Amino acid sequence: MTTEVTESARLYGNTHIVWLTMPPELHSATPGQFVMTYAGENSDPLLGRAFSIARVRTSDAGREFALLFDIVGRGTEWLSRRAPGDAVRVVGPLGRGFEPRERVQRMLLVGGGIGVAPLVWLADRLIEDGREVTLALGGRTAAQIFPAHLLPSDVEIVVATEDGSLGTRGLVTAPFEELLPWCDQAFACGPNPMFEAMHGVVRHSGLRKPVQALVEEQMACGMGICYSCAVFPRRGGVRLVCTDGPMFDLRDLY
Amino acid sequence: MAVDLSLTIGQGSKQELILRNPVMVASGTFSNGLEFAKRFDVDALGALVSKGTTLHPRRGNPQPRTGETASGMINSIGFQNIGVGAVVSEAAPVWSRWQVPVLVNIMGETIAEYGQLAERLDGVRGIAGLEVNISCPNVAAGGMEYGQDPEQAAAVVREVRRHTSLPFTVKVTPSVSDIRPIVVAVQEAGADAITVMNTIPAMAIDIKRRKPVLATTFGGLSGPAIKPVALRMVFLTASVSTVPVLAAGGVSNGTDAIEFFMAGASAVQVGTATFRDPEAAWKVLAGITEWCEQEGVTSLSDIVGAARRKD
Ligand SMILES: Cc1cc2nc3c(=O)[nH]c(=O)nc-3n(C[C@H](O)[C@H](O)[C@H](O)COP(=O)(O)O)c2cc1C
Ligand code: FES
Repeated sequence: MTTEVTESARLYGNTHIVWLTMPPELHSATPGQFVMTYAGENSDPLLGRAFSIARVRTSDAGREFALLFDIVGRGTEWLSRRAPGDAVRVVGPLGRGFEPRERVQRMLLVGGGIGVAPLVWLADRLIEDGREVTLALGGRTAAQIFPAHLLPSDVEIVVATEDGSLGTRGLVTAPFEELLPWCDQAFACGPNPMFEAMHGVVRHSGLRKPVQALVEEQMACGMGICYSCAVFPRRGGVRLVCTDGPMFDLRDLY
Repeated sequence: MAVDLSLTIGQGSKQELILRNPVMVASGTFSNGLEFAKRFDVDALGALVSKGTTLHPRRGNPQPRTGETASGMINSIGFQNIGVGAVVSEAAPVWSRWQVPVLVNIMGETIAEYGQLAERLDGVRGIAGLEVNISCPNVAAGGMEYGQDPEQAAAVVREVRRHTSLPFTVKVTPSVSDIRPIVVAVQEAGADAITVMNTIPAMAIDIKRRKPVLATTFGGLSGPAIKPVALRMVFLTASVSTVPVLAAGGVSNGTDAIEFFMAGASAVQVGTATFRDPEAAWKVLAGITEWCEQEGVTSLSDIVGAARRKD
């Protein structure tokens, strides 16, 4: 399906946001699900790029969804140069998103770097739902941290940067450790070493808190047909991030 | 004007395989079709080929296992698959409800394993034929080795032929100095068709990490980048083949398919193109039909090998 760019801007640091018209096929999407977007007209670059849906809004133009991304290669470079009115081909919604439990109140969201993208929409939704939300954000430096004023004001925000330029100095696993006893359920997105560290924190705490991790792995198709995105859970076997995930229970992975 | 696009593999044998049109999906680029069948009309295609299947389930190679290259990609999936037992008990019953014939792509580590695989799949409802893979670059044992030596290739094919009455195609590798002796050997040994070709051994380097992109260092190149190589391999194969040639390698649209037909292929397999556009195979089919109608071609066989004729 084809979508149209309605807005495109550098939002902070090296991070861009692109708003696209939301075709009806995408209306059923939930936070944590993703779309494949295809750059260019021809075969170069060849493969689609997977992006979490980072936000949804309704304006005069109808429903729109946002992609939030760092410019890291040719696909993201291409997408960042689309201007309002330009067409972008997408497929979605894909994968299995976050599954917030019913009737629990305290939600802890943990984002490492650009892993904040799906958590923005999740935070929006959870606040609308009347839950308490704390968002712990980590990054190398202040320029990598999603601006607090762009989040719903009811979201409690905690920041950790490796260089100490914003919030506490260090990794986001430290605030995660502090907040774990508080929360009823946690949701995380970021690099694999972050998940591994979080798993260690949960294990040491002795608390049986459910943590849902949104995993990233190299994708080629996004639809379960190429087997590029395999993850190897500790207990054996192999799962595909694009169809079995990207949301996995942290305990099933490590 | 109706165009006759049908094709028969294993003509005259006990179990002929009839394709209503010459558009197949390539092994490893469609999983086992179960997910796609929920969203798309797989029955409109000529045939499906399963993910490469081994005797036992396999988890495949470590990450990273794919990387993008100029108009192409490299992969080293390494035969992640559910194993022949699950293919028979889980996939085949679903396939048996479809009209589209499904071929199971098989890969053994030894010649005897190819025979065992063929035997397990023989007479199973829902399995219309086999594709014998002697060309996978991503496994330590078996795979491409057998496809690089005419005698070994023929030994694999004889072993499969002894254990099945299903029609089968043999999938060859471009990693040989001359494809023709391999083609001659496998068709004499009993192949009903030849699939040309598997991926081309290749690599990419990540200069940030100063390492090969793939965990296995080498993988197989696929996509539009390899089409000219595949065309030459099909052209050479057709110069000696007496059975249908099924072309794979960068087929992304109707024009690509027509080129392969003119080089001597009777059918095409759409692979990597499906990753960029899930409807690629259906668009290839529409493109072929449209071209035939425009050119007044009423039977596809009229153009098979057209570029080979000297006038
Ligand atoms: C991700 C991936 C997985 C593949 N897996 C298999 C496989 O299991 N068995 C096989 O015979 N070929 C496999 N192939 C090769 C394709 O079937 C095809 O021969 C090759 O990719 C060339 O066609 P294409 O350029 O249209 O992709 C695979 C290719 C890709 C890209
Ligand atoms: S990206 Fe192709 S199977 Fe997941």
